[in-house]
Amino acid sequence: MQRETRIAHYVVGLLTALSLVLLSLPLSSPVRAFKACASYVLYPLAYRGERGYQRIAEAPARARALLSADVENGDLRDQLRRTLWLRQTVESLSIENDRLRRAMRLKPPAARHPVWAHVMERDPQRWYSSIAVDAGADAGLSLNDAVLGRRGDDLVAIGRIVEVRPNTATVLLLTDQRSAVAAYLSSGTLEGLAQGQDGPHLRVNYLNAEARIVADDTVYTSPTSATFPPDVLIGRVARVYPRDPFLAFQSADVAPALDAASLQEVMILRARPGPGAPASALVGPLPREASAPAPAKTPAPAAAPAAQEAR
Amino acid sequence: MRILRGSALFAAAMFLQWWWNTHLAYWGAAPQFLLALTVLVAARRGPLAAILIGWAWGLYADVLRADLFGANALLYALAGYAAGMVRRQVDLRAIGPLATAVFLLSWAYALSLGVLGMIFSKGFVWIGWPSLLAGPIMNALAAAAASLIWEAGARG
Repeated sequence: MQRETRIAHYVVGLLTALSLVLLSLPLSSPVRAFKACASYVLYPLAYRGERGYQRIAEAPARARALLSADVENGDLRDQLRRTLWLRQTVESLSIENDRLRRAMRLKPPAARHPVWAHVMERDPQRWYSSIAVDAGADAGLSLNDAVLGRRGDDLVAIGRIVEVRPNTATVLLLTDQRSAVAAYLSSGTLEGLAQGQDGPHLRVNYLNAEARIVADDTVYTSPTSATFPPDVLIGRVARVYPRDPFLAFQSADVAPALDAASLQEVMILRARPGPGAPASALVGPLPREASAPAPAKTPAPAAAPAAQEAR
Repeated sequence: MRILRGSALFAAAMFLQWWWNTHLAYWGAAPQFLLALTVLVAARRGPLAAILIGWAWGLYADVLRADLFGANALLYALAGYAAGMVRRQVDLRAIGPLATAVFLLSWAYALSLGVLGMIFSKGFVWIGWPSLLAGPIMNALAAAAASLIWEAGARG
């Protein structure tokens, strides 16, 4: 016991002296070398400890993530199966559609590419007639491209391109007297021809004489329209004219869904440019979508709207 | 076998100290397991083992800090020496005296560290009120718990 105590005295004296040297000369080479050695030996404990602790600490989160990934994987596999089935259905329907089109000798619908343009000019003298937009041949526009406006989230039929310049184009509004578009009423899918009146309203003519037209009914572009895609909003029925016994059709006034005065930008549905098509053209004669309607008292043929619009 | 177990305990104590300091220290207060265990080793194994182990543990504590390299080694070795000397008069195997010794040595450690800072550094090293007030209590509790574990291990 005495011996151990004596040794302890010596050892503590030695280590105290060593410690004091370490404290006194922290920047000397031997002390720095000693500190480097001590760090090399002892520091990995903290480093490895931290790494190991992180692994252990992350284990529950990783297990949770693994479980949720497994559940998600199952859901995605189901979804993938449904998608594959849906794709096969679509492919078979597409094939069937092509076959039926060929059988009926129908042309496939024209592809359209939207182009946004700003309204750059509006003539007060011709407020309901036309506007100019800042896109032209440079944007790939061509004659009779459909022009749509935006009201909230809905697209609204506005007019069509009648003049194309290199950087600008002129849009003939639906409210212009020279405009006409095949349209249908939502209540009874009644087809008619919506024609401009050079005023705030359109007039839908050639509606079935026996049909019951409801005011405030919604008017959309018809699938038979040569210019517009089907089911684009035009407006609402504002007034139904009394039935004329001498006419074979009815007429109604339509308030356009979008006021021409509120147009800021428009979407132009650019038709796919065909090979050799002129890049730019200044229209000579105005390409009317429909000529003047048949005068009153002339019974309209069954396919009158489409025929007149396509003329 | 005894050397292996001693080495494992030596490393485990350092790991415990690092882990607690890193992840469980609140308001700068954490028990000084290494100091408490040094005193415990002195109580159980005598001053020589406590001095050597305390110096090594102190060196480890010094490696983890940027200044006063050697201060902890010196203070832990002195703590082991002091406890080893005291155990001749006081039975440090009992939990009460051990905890008391650790409590007092913790205060002495804090004061000595401050003085060492005054001598070898720019000024008195202040360990902060939370560490100064709560540290000795936590150290005493840690020493008591370690003593119980040691006792249980010795019986087993």
